[in-house]
Amino acid sequence: MALPNQQTVDYPSFKLVIVGDGGTGKTTFVKRHLTGEFEKKYEPTIGVEVHPLDFFTNCGKIRFYCWDTAGQEKFGGLRDGYYIHGQCAIIMFDVTARLTYKNVPTWHRDLCRVCENIPIVLCGNKVDVKNRQVKAKQVTFHRKKNLQYYEISAKSNYNFEKPFLYLARKLAGDGNLHFVESPALAPPEVQIDLAAQALHEQELQQALNQPLPDDDDEAFE
Amino acid sequence: MDDLEKAILISFDESGAVDSALKAQAVGYCQQIKETSSICSICIERLCFSKLVQVQFWCLQCLHEVLRVRYSSMGPEEKSFIRKSVFSLACYESIDDKNLVRVLDGPAFIKNKLAQVMVTLICFEYPMIWPSVFVDFLSNLSKGVVVIDMFCRVLNALDEEVISLDYPRSQEEVAIAGQIKDAMRQQCISQVVRAWYDILLMYRNSDPDLCCSVLDSMRRYVSWIDIGLIANDAFVGLLFELMLVSGFPDQLRGAAAGCIHAVAAKRMDPKAKLTLLQSLQIRKVFGLVAEDNDSELVSSVSSLLTGYSTEVLECSKRLNSEDGKAVSTELLNEVLPSVFYVMQNCEIDETFSIVQFLSGYVGTLKSLAPLTETQSLHVGQILDVIRSQIRFDPAYRNNLNMLDKTGKEEEDRMAEFRKDLFVLLRSVGRVAPDATQLFIRNSLASAVASNGDVNVEEIEAALSLLYAFGESLSDETMKTGNGLLGELIPMLLSTKFPCHNNRLVALIYLETVTRYMKFFQENTQYIPLVLSAFLDERGIHHPNRNVSRRASYLFMRIVKLLKAKLVPYIETILQSLQDTVAQFTTIYAVSKELSGCEDGSHIFEAIGLLIGMEDVPLEKQSEYLTALLTPLCQQVEALLLNAKSQNPEESPAKITNIQQIIMAINALSKGFSERLVTASRPAIGLMFKQTLDVLLRILIIYPKIEPLRCKVTSFIHRMVDILGSSVFPYLPKALEQLLAESEPKELAGFLLLLNQLICKFNTGVKDILEEVYPAIASRVFNILPRDAFPTGPGSNTEEIRELQELQRTFYTFLHVIATHDLSSVFLSSKSRAYLDLMMQLILHASCNHKDILVRKACVQMFIRLIKDWCVSPYGEEKVPGFRSFVMEAFATNCCLYSVLDKSFEFRDANSLVLFGEIVLVQKVMFEKFGNDFLVHFVSKSLQSAHCPQDLAEQYCQKLQGSDIKALKSFYQSLIENLRRQQNGSLGSFLYILFVESHGQRGVNLRKQFLDMKMLIYHNFAAHKGGLGLLQRVGGSQCHRFSIFSLDLLRCSFFCGSVCMK
Repeated sequence: MALPNQQTVDYPSFKLVIVGDGGTGKTTFVKRHLTGEFEKKYEPTIGVEVHPLDFFTNCGKIRFYCWDTAGQEKFGGLRDGYYIHGQCAIIMFDVTARLTYKNVPTWHRDLCRVCENIPIVLCGNKVDVKNRQVKAKQVTFHRKKNLQYYEISAKSNYNFEKPFLYLARKLAGDGNLHFVESPALAPPEVQIDLAAQALHEQELQQALNQPLPDDDDEAFE
Repeated sequence: MDDLEKAILISFDESGAVDSALKAQAVGYCQQIKETSSICSICIERLCFSKLVQVQFWCLQCLHEVLRVRYSSMGPEEKSFIRKSVFSLACYESIDDKNLVRVLDGPAFIKNKLAQVMVTLICFEYPMIWPSVFVDFLSNLSKGVVVIDMFCRVLNALDEEVISLDYPRSQEEVAIAGQIKDAMRQQCISQVVRAWYDILLMYRNSDPDLCCSVLDSMRRYVSWIDIGLIANDAFVGLLFELMLVSGFPDQLRGAAAGCIHAVAAKRMDPKAKLTLLQSLQIRKVFGLVAEDNDSELVSSVSSLLTGYSTEVLECSKRLNSEDGKAVSTELLNEVLPSVFYVMQNCEIDETFSIVQFLSGYVGTLKSLAPLTETQSLHVGQILDVIRSQIRFDPAYRNNLNMLDKTGKEEEDRMAEFRKDLFVLLRSVGRVAPDATQLFIRNSLASAVASNGDVNVEEIEAALSLLYAFGESLSDETMKTGNGLLGELIPMLLSTKFPCHNNRLVALIYLETVTRYMKFFQENTQYIPLVLSAFLDERGIHHPNRNVSRRASYLFMRIVKLLKAKLVPYIETILQSLQDTVAQFTTIYAVSKELSGCEDGSHIFEAIGLLIGMEDVPLEKQSEYLTALLTPLCQQVEALLLNAKSQNPEESPAKITNIQQIIMAINALSKGFSERLVTASRPAIGLMFKQTLDVLLRILIIYPKIEPLRCKVTSFIHRMVDILGSSVFPYLPKALEQLLAESEPKELAGFLLLLNQLICKFNTGVKDILEEVYPAIASRVFNILPRDAFPTGPGSNTEEIRELQELQRTFYTFLHVIATHDLSSVFLSSKSRAYLDLMMQLILHASCNHKDILVRKACVQMFIRLIKDWCVSPYGEEKVPGFRSFVMEAFATNCCLYSVLDKSFEFRDANSLVLFGEIVLVQKVMFEKFGNDFLVHFVSKSLQSAHCPQDLAEQYCQKLQGSDIKALKSFYQSLIENLRRQQNGSLGSFLYILFVESHGQRGVNLRKQFLDMKMLIYHNFAAHKGGLGLLQRVGGSQCHRFSIFSLDLLRCSFFCGSVCMK
């Protein structure tokens, strides 16, 4: 279906709506594609911003028009009006803020009211952060509603492509579709493993600061 | 097209084709229209005439919003007009003769939006104002499909917007939902159900989509309507017909299954439930799962079967009668084979819930031992299911072996997928341990024997079972090797699989051996076998580097446990590791996949553990250690020497190489104890000191490279640990270099190092600390924000997290200084400049920090500082001004106001501990300041809180008594008393004051705040009101209020500072 009012390209393009609470990283996520850098600072999105994101699949090039919508009511603009003619969607929450997960059902409902039966991916963002509030095990919403769930970290590019690949496969009706070259991503800020390593080391150091119970202590008592 | 329509179209346009000024104008215009009083009739009119979906949508959105916000202020005529118009739209009627457009002819999302508006009206008006809404709607259904479809949309929207418990709801919303449900149950639900039945009967052949919508509504409503309306012969019969007749489309059949599922899941008394479940005759659907393995229907039917089984199980748990147990067992035995079939044969999403159900089932078997024949059969089938589910698909064999992207994904997916299955396995293992062990042995044996193509996956699965099973075994069972284990483990050790080259097989093999390592503690005859499993090409010398690195780590764990028994083998082990050790530090480019915890340095830790034992003679020990340390140090020296002549932009490979070497030495040192290094064998200590000498030079050559700083810091941690105080001479220079230009994260790491030093050496590090403290304080106060950290969306950024981490570490640092007799550090001439800032910081934190533990630490600091700095009630002041600061600012704000605030929760354990400290500090203040404290605290602070005279007197008595517990409970009751008393007095006065001042435009708000601030400071009750007010106003005023509360705080600081000068 041709999108109303959208510049056209000569390869398949889809309207992708991104929703979720304010501050969950929707804008940061779409900006990882292209040349955008990881933004440490937060500036709320006003209304909506549309980013065309191209991907190269074994069946040719495709484009997602990513509608990055405002997560905060007060910056809402047309709010669910932006979902009209959405062909696929991403619902984003922040694994370090429980409330953002609690609101996922509401985002899902509002989305489905306007877009019936579209493929949707649920994304838990910021999995690189060490004190998570929403553990992977606690994420169950997608099971009830048949969504795909991915843990992502916009900051480290972790799983960046996954949501797009899933949606592309669903839209193309081809489970074997794959990306043939990686999109140009901004370099990761952290390596996920390095982050784990840093945590490991810090814990180690904290442990070292504790008085030791074993016989090593006797020496300076 | 009129102006509004044009404006709406433009504001929807995101193509970038519209000029931004024009767009802003359009958006403004729409907003302006929205605010006119006739907006509802404007919208309704447009809905009758405009064919543009954007316009229709905008109008409905607008109606919805206006109803939500303004309903209560609308007049009865306007309400009636909206009600009639919306209902007409929903019933496909013309509002008047002229309208050309009907909303129900529009796309689905317009109809859904209309349903949302209807539901909003229902919330306000049903059943009181508009009792006939559902009945009226029902009478319109005869108009046909369009209206029926709309009716379903309204019912579904009602569920989603109001009734369903899947969404977060306020108390108020829950109450409204209750009213609606009650009224519907009483008034019309049986008519609705009747209508559903008739529609299904009439349209099942001609319009399956419509029937699906009806079934969807029904599925949602079953949980709260009279179950008898659905669970009767007629309706259940119809539902089964829809499910079973193969002529119907899958979607419809699935929807019918969904309804039966909802009926089975209905919450009710277990006895009645069992009768219901029995009456459903679920066996009729068993055949459906065999039809087609991955259709939508099979998925719905599987979910029905699982749900049904779960319910039966639940009944059997809750029913105690023999009869009830018998019936539920019978029903379970009937349905279980189909559940197993689904699990084994169908590609469905149901695995998770089936596994949950099976875990529940196995759980009930625990109390039933010995198992009946049927139950044993089921257990066997469950084990079969587990084995087949955890097996990798051979199609991924290469990907998994090379661990490419697909392989990595598949491995992650499987790891996640296996978790629940392994939990199930362990429960089975507890219910039927012998059967489980036998099953695993047979699996392993048959996997080894089979030479087919699935060999790799079968072996991997069998080993994984053995591995997972081990987790549930007790230490005792593990050590003695009870049952078949004593046979299984030796068999495992002596096996070399033909596919041992495979990464997965090699890994799970090593993991399994490690899991059962306690067995070797008692059965030392197997140690040579264990060693060769790790040292030959199955382990550390495996061709796959991934495997060999994991093997290093696992070997280290084995060494840790068995080291005392490994002394005779040290020579052999070291010899066979020579090549690995050399390799570790010569690989220049470490590939990214291998970075992280699995870096390979564990092999050095293992060696350290072995050669660091006191059982190793000194001569041997220094020989081994020299052989390892000397080449590593030489390597670093060479790298540093070259670096000087090269450009400062050092190659990453070189940096990585240095990091590797530091990590290796670090790991090696872990095997050596402080006693050995400093007391019994100082020669060994000397070797580590020489190494420290070399490694510290890295900081000089590469001063600001973060990863190197981090690694050297870790190394210093280690050396502090084993070298003790002999590390002192190295510290000043090293600390200076680590501190220079450090980022928040590095600074936090640096503070951790100092904390370690202080905890270990107490006053021994006083000189060093005096030297570095001013620099640290200057740096920290520069970096940390003076204002509180922002909250709300967007405050969760990386930058803020780093700063918060630094702040927390800094509090710990200050606390550690104060509690280790080092408070004099704060008073040295160079530190003096930061004293004021530091006191303000901990005062603020002691009253306001969101982490109660931080508050506690700060109060404890005050206790120490008062003890250290205030000698006696009338002696000379060690720190001029401190005494009055403590008595006036701290005592009032922290000991009184902070606990008076309602957010201070006495039922929270941490808060209670904090409260204990707050009481203790009062006691300490009294001891140090005597009557001065009483005068201040009782006659000023408590007085300002309007504390009754008798309570104040009692307070004085308790404070002078010796029973701290009595004082604590008294003070708590005093506070609770004051809280009750203060409710509503001056606080509300201040609230009014604020609201009024806020309402007057043009008034200098800032000035108002300042005035209020002074008021607040001088009057406790007002302060209290101020805090309550902060909570009440919330939202939009947050920012202003944070400034305000900050001012409040500054005000108290200000006073404190004045006193100190």
